[in-house]
Amino acid sequence: MLQQPPEPGSQPQPQAPSKPMTEPQAERKVPKSGPLDPAKAPSTPPRFQAAQPRALTAELQAFPKPPRHGWKAWAVAFVLLLILGWSFAGVQFDFKELLRGAPQMVDMFQRSIPPDVSTLTDPERYSLPEELGLKELILPMPLEGELAEVKDRWWRNTFPNTVLGATLQTIQMAVAGTFIATLIAFPIGFLAARNTSPSPIVYHAIKLTVNFLRTIPDFAAGLILIAAIGLGPFAGTLALAFHTTTVLVKLFSEAIENIDPGVVEAVTATGARYPQVVSFAVVPQVIPDFISFVLYRFETNIRAATVLGLIGAGGIGLIMNSDFRMFQYPQAAMSVIVLIVLVMLVDYLSARLRRLVI
Amino acid sequence: MDLMIDVQGLRKAYGDGDLILKDVNISFAPGEFVTILGLSGAGKSTFLRCLNRLIEPTGGRIMVPRSVLDGSSAQPDPGRSPELVDLATAGPRELRLWRRRVGMIFQQFNLVKRMSVLDNVLSGTLGEANLLASIFRSFPKAERERALRNLDRVGLLDQAYQRADTLSGGQQQRVAIARALMQRPKVILADEPVASLDPKLSVQVLDTLKRVAVEDGITVLVSLHVLDLAKTYGDRIIGFQGGRIVFDGKPEALTDEAVERVYFREGYEHAPATPRTGISTSAAGAV
Repeated sequence: MLQQPPEPGSQPQPQAPSKPMTEPQAERKVPKSGPLDPAKAPSTPPRFQAAQPRALTAELQAFPKPPRHGWKAWAVAFVLLLILGWSFAGVQFDFKELLRGAPQMVDMFQRSIPPDVSTLTDPERYSLPEELGLKELILPMPLEGELAEVKDRWWRNTFPNTVLGATLQTIQMAVAGTFIATLIAFPIGFLAARNTSPSPIVYHAIKLTVNFLRTIPDFAAGLILIAAIGLGPFAGTLALAFHTTTVLVKLFSEAIENIDPGVVEAVTATGARYPQVVSFAVVPQVIPDFISFVLYRFETNIRAATVLGLIGAGGIGLIMNSDFRMFQYPQAAMSVIVLIVLVMLVDYLSARLRRLVI
Repeated sequence: MDLMIDVQGLRKAYGDGDLILKDVNISFAPGEFVTILGLSGAGKSTFLRCLNRLIEPTGGRIMVPRSVLDGSSAQPDPGRSPELVDLATAGPRELRLWRRRVGMIFQQFNLVKRMSVLDNVLSGTLGEANLLASIFRSFPKAERERALRNLDRVGLLDQAYQRADTLSGGQQQRVAIARALMQRPKVILADEPVASLDPKLSVQVLDTLKRVAVEDGITVLVSLHVLDLAKTYGDRIIGFQGGRIVFDGKPEALTDEAVERVYFREGYEHAPATPRTGISTSAAGAV
């Protein structure tokens, strides 16, 4: 049905239904002498009037046009194309090289098949000490002086050089490195967040320092630390902890800056002091994010720990590296498979955990 | 006359901008239930937040009795006028003592969603709690009991151990009232406490607020934008317009003319005029 043509001088109120209940109430109270002239006042109260439906025909031309972007979009596309071309030229991208290398890849693949499962399953590989039974070796039980030494040596030196031991060591590096980083990053995160930092100077100083340190990749830190304290998982763990700290401070502080300020206002209004405001209004809001970030960094650190192994910082990477160098492809393939399984497992578990806390 | 807050020449501007509050003069007596009317931007929220200095006033004085800060309940000498403190210039210690006795209630409730209802209520005692223990959410048994009693007063005892975000909006706002009660408040400032609630819940929340205010003799300043609610609940109504108080009186005195002064005098624009397209394509009026 067609709407009545507007009476001359009448004043339709097209948006009335979208208004909250309350405001029209106020309008109703307006006396006749008010800004709503009686002659112009609508016969029905505004809130009972229907919205104006949209016209679909030529009338649409009366509506404002959406802004057009035209040449700007073309300019952006052109610049992007230039950057792409420049990048591909820079990396000497060449399909011919790729094709030439293909046979080698196939060859390497064939030589890795079948993967040498015995690196994982053969008891010989673990060079178990003859003096000890499996039970004494694994369970924490008191042992005689010399036997204890044998056990200790096996755990410290022999086991980490097996595929299984090295894999576990990689996990240990990731756990320890992530833990240290979390401990350090937690308090610094509050200092580096604009809304909880005690002063703008502290905030800027920490932000700047952390941004600078974060540019150092973890394997660069690993190279430095290995040079300083020697090969092994300890240097690798410290490298992980270092880089993870810088990343977590950034993530933590951004999570803190995104909290609902209303809760902070409410707790402040009770007369609470700064540590109480942080504990009651800030921490409960950011804890799920924090846990999620830490788990995510743990996943990343499993992979990072492997790369660190390649430069000599222990773990499965170290084993893979030496296998490749000695052209023991079946063994290397087995290490790669173990690594893939490990990473998938950790990703899966931490995804489950994260879903629990959110 | 007994006095709870005496505001003299209060002004507030953000940065170099216009004055949001222009020379506000008003005083409130103990136990008054005052509703505040005004359009968005009229200065209601800013006014309330200046009273506990969540917003720093640009100028003016906010005089409050020293006895409230000291916590002494009775006036030492009823014959003499009480000693007053200017809150606008008070130091951090006096400000905190004042905030301890001023509960605040917000439009968005501002509860810690992931904490239990009880812990949210207990956060009302932070101003008096032991610093170290309270950081680790440890409160004395007596305080926990008082929190439960206050939850009972707002009718939410059964929900004490639920997470705050499992409650409905009206329940959350009543938790906020219980939190304010934990402060043993002399004053409660409520900034649009029912603006996010439907009419039925609004009445529930305001009933609760009014009841506890009467029981404990609390001065309540509550901004509302529903005229009927303001008239029903207020012992006294003040109207803000453009950063000034343009009405101050009993609900009966709020005439149509006075309402117009609060809502329509300046800056009021009529709803948009006739649509540009004169054609309607569907059943207008069927709604």
